[in-house]
Amino acid sequence: MIKFAVFICGAIVMSFEILGSRVLAPNFGSSVFVWGSLISVFLSGLSAGYYLGGRISDVNPSSRKLAVMIMTSGILFVTFPLYSTPVSDWIFEMDLGVRLSPLVASIILFFVPSDFLGIVSPYTAKLMICSLHTSGKTIGTLYALSTFGSIIGTLITSFYLITLAGVNALIMGQGVLLVALAIPLYIMNLSCSIEPTASAGVIRDIK
Amino acid sequence: MLQKIYLAAFCLMLIPLQGFALEPSEKLIFEKNSLYQYIQVIEDTVKKERYVRNQKKEFTQGGIYVNAPDKLRFEFTQLFFVSLAFLDRDPNDVLFVGLGAGAMPKYFTGRYPDAVIDIAEIDPDMVAVAQKYFYFKENERMKVHVEDGRLFVKRTKKSYDWIILDAYQNESIPFHLTTLEFLNEVKSRLKENGVVAANIISPYRNKFFDSMVMTYKKAFPHFAIFKGKNSANFIFVATTGSKIRNKDSVKATARKIQSARKFDIDLEAFASRYEPSKEYEWGGAKILTDDFAPVNLYQYQKSGAQ
Repeated sequence: MIKFAVFICGAIVMSFEILGSRVLAPNFGSSVFVWGSLISVFLSGLSAGYYLGGRISDVNPSSRKLAVMIMTSGILFVTFPLYSTPVSDWIFEMDLGVRLSPLVASIILFFVPSDFLGIVSPYTAKLMICSLHTSGKTIGTLYALSTFGSIIGTLITSFYLITLAGVNALIMGQGVLLVALAIPLYIMNLSCSIEPTASAGVIRDIK
Repeated sequence: MLQKIYLAAFCLMLIPLQGFALEPSEKLIFEKNSLYQYIQVIEDTVKKERYVRNQKKEFTQGGIYVNAPDKLRFEFTQLFFVSLAFLDRDPNDVLFVGLGAGAMPKYFTGRYPDAVIDIAEIDPDMVAVAQKYFYFKENERMKVHVEDGRLFVKRTKKSYDWIILDAYQNESIPFHLTTLEFLNEVKSRLKENGVVAANIISPYRNKFFDSMVMTYKKAFPHFAIFKGKNSANFIFVATTGSKIRNKDSVKATARKIQSARKFDIDLEAFASRYEPSKEYEWGGAKILTDDFAPVNLYQYQKSGAQ
């Protein structure tokens, strides 16, 4: 289940980025500045998320907390169409120039959601590392799953999804998927305790 | 991990797409990877013609006769001028979206020297190429604005009599210049009874063409289509008025401005290609919007119309 969540979150990050270029184009065009802004903001969000996710996972990690993070990004996605147009229009009116306008718009629209999705990777790594002997394998598997998800998300979105539905509908659909993903993680309430001396750790229910 | 994907994507964007063989008579005189495209200036030493191209011969954006740079070399550029016959007056304020080799604005200003012309072109290198190799010159009445066409239209406070939309490349069509929202923004920049003309390329009837027809239909109550005979171009001519001129009236006006403005192309013959948009409408096509506009995929899908 946790591996599945990592895969889906990886797919949604990149799919959201592709769709983000469509969200920005009407007000900011599709110049290199728009792509540069978009990519750098997603990377900033992810790196902030990795850092934060690592920090908070050190304090009583549980899949219930992870579920709350995923749920939050899901809610941001579902409500995205409500705020994306006013924000874009507002920045368009301010006219900060060809470089700054798309950069500021990207920061406001995409930094926080990508930050929450960035938290998922280190947090799940922590949840799944129950043995220090196999932690390399676990982290490697999670990295691979996340990036493989990103590849699939990029391809499916740019090749197929944009012919099937509108950009707003797709982003909301991803939000629904994130919420749906968070629910079982919340109910399962997995946690992992590392026993320093044991060669293999255990995953157990707290309750 | 994700960084690697970005890195790979960036590397792909930087690979120069070139190396397409030239005809024996053709000579490469300039090439550059600009921010937006691979620009190639080619001279045909036998035909004495010069072109600006992206990659392949089929992707020629424009060109001139070297010995007669003020003539219009390409059919679609000639065809565009028939849309002047839909105006009930001389155009004073004119907007071109997309410069190419600059042949059309140069030709236009030669015939209408009093008109004030704005040109929106996103690629600064294309402007430099038009100036250096295609005898295009700005003056106090004709200015190029290096800006995304959509942003120019949204930002400008000016209204225009005649707007020319020619910013689509063969293979890469900017989706935000195809949507209903964009056409409505263009419409809002037209003066009363103003005319907009657009170049739609469709080598075969594809879904993109069907959707463009229905999107124009939605934005403008009336429009006419002029089909290229030796090219895959269709010129859409739309007006804001509640009535559109019929074929005979367009032909009559074409004949009039032909002699008044000394056109060296047969505007009246072009006018006789007039087809009402009805001929091409297909209700099954989806209207393109900012939310839904899969233009690149639609270009490769066959039309659903019979």
